[in-house]
Amino acid sequence: MSLLEVHDLEVAYRRQGVEVRAVVGASLSLERGKIAGLVGESGCGKSSLARAVVGLVEPAAGEIVFDGTALSPLGRGARPRHETRLQMVFQNPYSSLNPRRTIGSQIGDGLRLGGGGERGARRRSVGELLEQVGLPSSAAGRFPHQFSGGQRQRVAIARALSVDPSVIVLDEPLSSLDASAQAQVANLLVGLARELDLALLLISHDLAIVRHIADRVFVMYLGQIVEEGPTREVWAAPQHPYTEALIAAIPHADGSGTLPEALPGEVPDPASPPPGCRFHPRCPHVFDRCPTEVPPLYELGAGRASACFLRDPLGPVREPTTIHEGVR
Amino acid sequence: MTLLEVEGLRVKIRTEGGEVTIVDGVDYAVEPGQVFGVAGESGSGKTISVLALLRLLPRGATTSGRALYGGRDLLRLSGRALRRVRGRELAMVFQDPLTSLHPMMTIGRQLSEHVRIHEGLSRRAALARASELLAEVRIPDPKRALEAFPHQFSGGMRQRVAIAGALATRPKLLIADEPTTALDVTVQAGILRLLDRLRRESGLSVILITHDLGVMSSIADHVSVFYAGRIVESGPPPELLSAPRHPYTRALLDALPHPEAEGRGELQAIRGLPPSPRNRPPGCAFHPRCAYATEASLEQVPLLRPVGERRLLACHVDPFAPGP
Repeated sequence: MSLLEVHDLEVAYRRQGVEVRAVVGASLSLERGKIAGLVGESGCGKSSLARAVVGLVEPAAGEIVFDGTALSPLGRGARPRHETRLQMVFQNPYSSLNPRRTIGSQIGDGLRLGGGGERGARRRSVGELLEQVGLPSSAAGRFPHQFSGGQRQRVAIARALSVDPSVIVLDEPLSSLDASAQAQVANLLVGLARELDLALLLISHDLAIVRHIADRVFVMYLGQIVEEGPTREVWAAPQHPYTEALIAAIPHADGSGTLPEALPGEVPDPASPPPGCRFHPRCPHVFDRCPTEVPPLYELGAGRASACFLRDPLGPVREPTTIHEGVR
Repeated sequence: MTLLEVEGLRVKIRTEGGEVTIVDGVDYAVEPGQVFGVAGESGSGKTISVLALLRLLPRGATTSGRALYGGRDLLRLSGRALRRVRGRELAMVFQDPLTSLHPMMTIGRQLSEHVRIHEGLSRRAALARASELLAEVRIPDPKRALEAFPHQFSGGMRQRVAIAGALATRPKLLIADEPTTALDVTVQAGILRLLDRLRRESGLSVILITHDLGVMSSIADHVSVFYAGRIVESGPPPELLSAPRHPYTRALLDALPHPEAEGRGELQAIRGLPPSPRNRPPGCAFHPRCAYATEASLEQVPLLRPVGERRLLACHVDPFAPGP
């Protein structure tokens, strides 16, 4: 069984009295020692999904099973001990660290909580945690502003590690960093996943970095997972037109002077999603089934899946009547 | 004829701890219809060096050198002449378009006021021109967009509106500071295609500041790589990116995940951190992070010198020089 499983998750919020469904029936699973990437354009529901996974927002429907137990949303009181093993790191470490306290004392908070998991007994010191993220233990006495962006992100990771987590959800942890700092933090994440047997969920709009470090990738569009699979295979042969478009839009630093392909249109307002396949108004391969039917996530074998009628095992084009016969 | 020629540009800023040199002697030229790329990490002085051209620096900053534009030195223009050039012929867009759009004014009013002030059009003619501008940057349904407020647009559409505003007076030079950094790749591709079309169709010159070498590669005609307030290497992207000569340029490229590379080894981070402007190393500022540094690198600032067709390099060692 996977360490963390998300089943048919729905996240909804109200905006000016209107219900907006940010996540619509998304399922994913995280494995120990592996990095899963979650990609998609802004407004696709990545962050809502991430927040629900760590219990920061209550799902409207669906289930999150963490290490065999259903997860309860974070309430006003203390979080159940075992759930502190589910940690989150945000895009801007400057806003999640207290500017007036030394980083050592902030990391120490987590150590005092003691962590709950099976590794809880193995108490570590602040110095060890700092060294684990590639900072000298002498850095403990310094304040957040005395670090560079990349170093602050390491501090945020060390703080997440202090409670001995088994899952860390990282929301755009690399996007505010320069290339070199980005490379360092990316390498650190791979090392931590492998050495500490952590399950990482990396949310990013940067497909190139996800391609490089994620073992598995989930592609999200307007609240739904539209494609998933092992990163390398998804990249080499995307099975959903949206994934194809995302990959084609990446500019390459090869000096070739080719302009990346723009995807026409925009992510529609989740308050009024298009009928049928939610991607159909922007899809270059749209055909008559797309605006009327909702494509299920077709299992394609080898851990791959795509929610596109072009991958329908019964053939993309079907008479509507055959479907009704099949159902009845 | 060269549109803009910058010579020996130096910017110093007075701080509590004394005067700090942010831009330390920069020379370059921008040709008409060219996208001139300025690359480098944060803190390398790339933004300050262009804000200096527009004289938009904070109080306490002093600028020296020359920036010749149409026979006049932008750094010495005063009062009215400066305002006329800045509003009309040079325009700027920023990473966050909300910094240049007024949140409480409709798009139509913002764009048309701009046109009325600079071109003296009537209210009606100005609105028509605003609508044309929105159509030019491919905003769907421009007539309706005129009635909308900035918050009603997505990030990509807002950046298009900001570009429309910058183009309102038909400038010759657009300075774009990380215009696509906050956008999704799909939307970024659209903005890059827009800049490319403006350059081809109306001969617009663009100074494009970005830390993203992929963006540089797809649109720039010429790239200058900044490090610690100086240009360390420059040239056309096909040569510069496929055969970088400066160890810093090479290190920047090596740090990138290569989409086409099959191997998934560790990414090559550059050791150490970029120096703070307060504390720049002597000699070649990159030497503490460079694997090829020699004694000369520690002692003397390397001069930017020509190394082949349209290429310049500031490195004593030149470890990647092509063999004989």
